[in-house]
Amino acid sequence: MPMYYAFGLNIQSELDLPALPLTDHVEPDVTIELADINKDGLEAPVDKRLYFQSSPDKFWLHVPGIAWFQVEEGKRIQVMPEENSDMQSVNLFLLGSCLGVILQQRQYLVMHANAIRFGDQCVIFAGPSGNGKSTLAAAFYQRGYEVLADDVSAINEAIEVLPSYPQMKLWHDAATKLDIDTAELSRVRMQIEKYACPLEKGFCNKPLPLAAMYILGTHNRDEFLLEPLKGIDKFDPIKNNTYRMQYLEGLGLKGHHLQRAGQLANRIKVTRIVRPDADFQLDRLVDVILEDLQACGIKV
Amino acid sequence: MNEGIYWIASYPKSGNTWMRSFIANLTKKEEGEVDINEINTGSIASARCWIDGVLGFDIGELSHDEIDKLRPDVYCQTAQEAEQYEYHKIHDAYRLLPDGRPLIPTKATAGVLYILRNPLDVAVSFAHHSHCSIDQAIKNMGNPDFAFAKGLKRQHRQLRQQLLSWSGHVSSWGKVKGINRLIVRYEDMQLKPHETFATVARFLQLPDEQSQINQALQRCNIKNLQQQEKEKGFNEKSAKVDSFFRKGIVGDWQKTLTEKQVKQIITDHAKVMQHFGYLNEQGQPLVEPLEMNQVLDDGHDRETEQ
Repeated sequence: MPMYYAFGLNIQSELDLPALPLTDHVEPDVTIELADINKDGLEAPVDKRLYFQSSPDKFWLHVPGIAWFQVEEGKRIQVMPEENSDMQSVNLFLLGSCLGVILQQRQYLVMHANAIRFGDQCVIFAGPSGNGKSTLAAAFYQRGYEVLADDVSAINEAIEVLPSYPQMKLWHDAATKLDIDTAELSRVRMQIEKYACPLEKGFCNKPLPLAAMYILGTHNRDEFLLEPLKGIDKFDPIKNNTYRMQYLEGLGLKGHHLQRAGQLANRIKVTRIVRPDADFQLDRLVDVILEDLQACGIKV
Repeated sequence: MNEGIYWIASYPKSGNTWMRSFIANLTKKEEGEVDINEINTGSIASARCWIDGVLGFDIGELSHDEIDKLRPDVYCQTAQEAEQYEYHKIHDAYRLLPDGRPLIPTKATAGVLYILRNPLDVAVSFAHHSHCSIDQAIKNMGNPDFAFAKGLKRQHRQLRQQLLSWSGHVSSWGKVKGINRLIVRYEDMQLKPHETFATVARFLQLPDEQSQINQALQRCNIKNLQQQEKEKGFNEKSAKVDSFFRKGIVGDWQKTLTEKQVKQIITDHAKVMQHFGYLNEQGQPLVEPLEMNQVLDDGHDRETEQ
């Protein structure tokens, strides 16, 4: 079985995971296998929602039309694809929700954010879906900045962000904005016009200390707004941009997570940045962020 | 306790925000009017974050049709967990999914308040809101396949909303059977506010004493909404236009639409306009509508759903 590497973990998988790099290591930290999964869910879930259930060691997820998944103790992912699903679709949820839960079970602080390297540190960018996080990451990448993570950033006890894997996902319009020819890329799923962009040289493969977090927003005015947050005001944005906060309750990790979020708030700079909705002004957004980072003494 | 969802349904630019502002002001316990940027009566049915949050997996990688299949379950789950009635805006037409299930499940629904407005006035307001010509707005209102956020090349903040044509939208909600429903016209909200909003308040199981209704109406009158927008902006306004709350008057079309435009709208929507009192017996447009019938028969569906 091939051994892959992502988020600092050796992942042995029965399923091909073309997005992940291979490694020579022989001892797996995580295994992925096909298995029979109870379609009704866990035996004794602490938290039972519409399509996911969780208990301190186990997490169960059903993505209708695609697969059932079970994730255990931060070590094992079991998969049972639905009859007519394709492996490309299964892989997306495997590397999304399931790997996210593995990281949560391993007690990393997992954020719905991407991470970009600046000097010997990194900065994470969060914000609601559709506000341009991936487009911004791709813009930094094009300017020569290395990417550590796209979409999910795992933060360890030392407040370092782990490198995820060398791929970014971009919608057609975002790629066009960046003059990237989608004809040369593969779609992440045949059903949608979102593309996998392999990161060749521009992937940072070592953990880096986290210096700051930006929350991206938009408004219907024609100006950029930078709002540095202070003290307790930094806590809510960190909490609100947690990766799948709703999983943590049943996993018994909510308290631990909030405590870690509090520690993070004390250590990093948190800034809200709002851009005009009508006109992305991507280059301007990148410049505004770079100027702000420099003003705070972060080497760019 | 299972209380369910009241849907505040309408074609765009038909008074939905005004209605939600009324509900927010009617239920506000503190002194003073509700901030227009904090009309938190409930998310719009097409809010990505609502659907994504309840499902617990990334719907950003699903197609519009795949997401639609999941929406009824999310509404049922939300209704089941709700501790009190929730009032959610919806611009989608009422429709059945390919497997025959309605997008809006009866089980999740405490009631539907459907707001409709003279399409002659909607055309003017819709053109302004969409930053397009009035002719384009008329074309969109006549398009049986019209939808918001239907593009495939980027992630929209909202989910795809299939509106159908203006007539198709009104008929789709008008013909729903087995759901507690009240249809109100924008013109009645303007011309007979006390009576209309009292009926609405009773339907939505909200406080309905006349003094409370009067106070809420005072707080959400158009001048107040305009003033608030002028002072602090309005988050729901499109970036391309100057203001969201415009004139809000009945019969603005008389000064704005050309004869040809009026004729086109009447040609496209005569049956439904007639049913809801916007045309007289000779098919001429009216500023103050006639009495209307709450029930639409199936004949309208065949006429309007092309």
